[in-house]
Amino acid sequence: MSTTDTSHIRNFSIVAHIDHGKSTISDRILELTHTVEERDMEAQLLDTMDIERERGITIKSNAVRVTYDADDGETYQFNLIDTPGHVDFTYEVSRSLAACEGAVLVVDATQGVEAQTVSNASLAMNANLDIVPAINKIDLPSAEPDRVKEEIEEDLAIPADDAVCVSGKTGEGIHDLLEAIVMLVSPPKGDAAAPLKALILDSYFDEYRGVVATVRVFDGRIRKGDQLRMMQAGEGFLVDGVGVKRPAEQLVDELGVGEVGFVVTGLKNPEAVRVGDTLTGADRPCAEALPGYREAKPMVYTGIFPIDNKDYENLRDALEKLRVNDPSLTWSPETSVALGFGFRVGFLGLLHMEVVKERLEREFALSLIATSPSVDYHVYKTDGEMIEVRSPQDLPDVTRIERIEEPYLKAKVIVPPEYTGAVMQLAIEHRGITQDMVYLSEKSVEMHFDIPLAELILDFFDQLKSRTKGYASLDYEFSDYRASDLVKLDILLSGDEVDALSFIVHRDKAYSMARGLCDKLKEIIPRQQFEVPIQGAIGNKIIARSTVKAVRKDVLAKCYGGDISRKRKLLEKQKEGKKRMKQIGSVEVPQEAFLAVLKVDDQ
Amino acid sequence: MTSALYLHVPFCARKCAYCDFASWATPAGDALMGAYERALEAQLDEIASLGLLEGCETAYVGGGTPTLLGEKCLGSLVEKVMAVARPSELTCEANPDSLSDAVLLAVREAGATRLSVGVQSLDDGELCELGRLHDAACARERVQAAVASGLDVSIDLMCATPGQTPESWKRSLACAVALDVGHVSVYPLQIEEGTPLDRRYADDPCAWNDPEVQAERMTEAQAALETHGYSRYEVASYARPGKACRHNKVYWTGSPYLGLGTAASSMLDLEGYLRLLSVCPQLPAAPSDARRVRLTVETPRHELAEGPRLSALSFSLEFLTGAQAVAEDLMLGARLVEGLRSELVARARELFGARFDDTVDALLARGLLAEKDGRLAPTEQGWLLGNELYGALWDLAPGEVVTARC
Repeated sequence: MSTTDTSHIRNFSIVAHIDHGKSTISDRILELTHTVEERDMEAQLLDTMDIERERGITIKSNAVRVTYDADDGETYQFNLIDTPGHVDFTYEVSRSLAACEGAVLVVDATQGVEAQTVSNASLAMNANLDIVPAINKIDLPSAEPDRVKEEIEEDLAIPADDAVCVSGKTGEGIHDLLEAIVMLVSPPKGDAAAPLKALILDSYFDEYRGVVATVRVFDGRIRKGDQLRMMQAGEGFLVDGVGVKRPAEQLVDELGVGEVGFVVTGLKNPEAVRVGDTLTGADRPCAEALPGYREAKPMVYTGIFPIDNKDYENLRDALEKLRVNDPSLTWSPETSVALGFGFRVGFLGLLHMEVVKERLEREFALSLIATSPSVDYHVYKTDGEMIEVRSPQDLPDVTRIERIEEPYLKAKVIVPPEYTGAVMQLAIEHRGITQDMVYLSEKSVEMHFDIPLAELILDFFDQLKSRTKGYASLDYEFSDYRASDLVKLDILLSGDEVDALSFIVHRDKAYSMARGLCDKLKEIIPRQQFEVPIQGAIGNKIIARSTVKAVRKDVLAKCYGGDISRKRKLLEKQKEGKKRMKQIGSVEVPQEAFLAVLKVDDQ
Repeated sequence: MTSALYLHVPFCARKCAYCDFASWATPAGDALMGAYERALEAQLDEIASLGLLEGCETAYVGGGTPTLLGEKCLGSLVEKVMAVARPSELTCEANPDSLSDAVLLAVREAGATRLSVGVQSLDDGELCELGRLHDAACARERVQAAVASGLDVSIDLMCATPGQTPESWKRSLACAVALDVGHVSVYPLQIEEGTPLDRRYADDPCAWNDPEVQAERMTEAQAALETHGYSRYEVASYARPGKACRHNKVYWTGSPYLGLGTAASSMLDLEGYLRLLSVCPQLPAAPSDARRVRLTVETPRHELAEGPRLSALSFSLEFLTGAQAVAEDLMLGARLVEGLRSELVARARELFGARFDDTVDALLARGLLAEKDGRLAPTEQGWLLGNELYGALWDLAPGEVVTARC
């Protein structure tokens, strides 16, 4: 396969609010272009991770080459990049957009413009992409394409007259969408004769081939056997192979200007290849690196500990391997009296945390405990020093604290007008300060408020969804640090403080949180041989308590006809159950206890 | 070669609501039962000719409901057992509703020494909930008849059952004691998955079966029985002096026993297994480090009734190493009031070293074990939290138990 003339290449992403149907539209495009035959089609084809399929979400971007025979009689090469829709993964979106000239902006014909539609559209516009609006789910009886067109024009300032109406479900309008891409998205520009300049979009580690990098070529070309170098990292390698995904991997002779594909680096050190780095020729480097990406900043930190302390090294290796294609992942070692050695890991948000923990457990067969999430607090000590505290255990003694500042967000909620009261109430409960409210249309209001990040990461999003019957959408960005009256709430089991259960909370909420958490833990911790008192404390002051009653009896007394095997198997089954628990002092604590704070309803 | 013989009779007039054991509802007089019994007799001859029953001291005909076989059939089976094994204790299990005078007489004449009667409760409401076929009056009358026949009699009682109250339990205990039997077994009802009881109470928290309730009932039973001259010798068994069930103790003390019939279990040492292997080529060779073999007959009752030779039976097997066998003996020994024999403790210390002492220290600290007359024995807590105690001792066993099927 030789390089396609750039005038016949279209590189585009599909961006949308979560659940607006990116993945189904991608599936239909693959089908219509015969990239994948109908009989081999499975839903969410580009979402290759089990977690993505199970949850019906896209977490990782995925680039696929599609060949399209257009109505003008010409054959085009499409490089389609599917991107995540959840706010936690905005970073992934901006990475993908850097490789594109265009973006298909998908809006649900029944829901209209939502918070992530707004932020993804602005990301695309800031990247100077040609935008192709597509109104999806027009097969639904409640579809209102005309209203949605108005919203796109009014809320996003994007001309929507030519918006394509499609149905990812039935395939209706997909052909028109492909034609619109040919017409509206600019072909890539670049100099085939210039020194190589390619952007590393993504990378993953393969046991046999080493690091495999997904790249977009801007100038020059890449062939097997080329000696290349990464401009930022400095490391060089011999290209072991180049190829494209269709969506199965297919080796090609070269990747030319404007093309997207993968490069087998053969590098065994995952750290060597950084996403966002520029790839160039070792002998003939380009003058200047590509801009790369703004580094994704973690928002939330949790302790991640192996249940079995012997797995500590394995956990570190696993984190390193995951970082290859998730550069937003950061960690530092952490030690807990209760849980032993582990890591404090930074995440983009709670969904990101869940996904990473699940991937670590599934892909690396680890049993892990995640502790209560924390944000990055700025603690000003009486001696004038400021320290960053990401774990409640690192909080200095109260007598040495002058003040604590916590990160605030600018949150944006788009909601039908009848729910504004409910959202305001929710914001107040979460220490939010409403800034203003803008009517986007008769049917949607955009509300802005400042809210502490720590409040948002608990149950804010779930509450928002349930109190607005699922209508509200949320987007946020970091605002600033503000002083708050924060205290460390400790949990004691059988009179002993369990450091891994501590968390930082606003003083006004400490009592209700402590009560809620003690009650929740009482539900989660199974009965044991001895009574287990659970106490919530601030400093030496106990502010809440509950008790797990002792189990009085646990014996299967009857033994039929000498069937000892059966009894032994029951004991072994019981032991299996215990393996999932962490022994803390004399108390056996199940994994989920350490995240109980997320399940507390403090109302 | 083996200390005990067990025969399983997998037939009942009706399945009780709580039972998930190997037994099937069978009409009285069904020809299947006669054929099954004759097949057992033939297998007993085969086993005896191997010399596997030499040194056999006790036998137990259990079920199911052996008395459902009727006087002729059951009498014949008991006679056969006496002829081939000559045990000095021979127990026959019985349900009150099928324990006719004729059956009673037949088993006594054939050589049985003990009768274990499934009374379960002496409260009509509770019996009905459990799906038993007899009422309290029938149970009382049949047990009295059994006692009068001169046999050693044991009765089973079940606590924490639906509808049971502290008062009804006390009444059942008082009635049981008044029957003047030599042996009483008491155990809490387990709601087993898939049983009618499980389905009936699927959406019910089953407060009547709460571990707290089980603990209270078991403690109540202990008090009532001990005041009337019964002493506990095993977690679920109480006996008057000299009336403890010797067969039962074989299970807890690591002595070999042999079981025949559908779902019957055997435990053999390597020598016994090799001897069985000589007539059962279908059995797999024991791994080189195996010291103890547990076998369960997997041949269904219909096939068994066709009279297969031992060589045609199917089995599931477990091979335990020497160390696993010791851990198992510790686990089983902890069910006995007399506790762990000193030779066993010495052997365990030799095999497991400091791990054994650490485990024992932890169990002593948790109050599940205590030193009594120089032996490690379960405490009151150890009775109630048996699974914790047994589990900790079995945990000493290294590696996985090797299993096989044939």
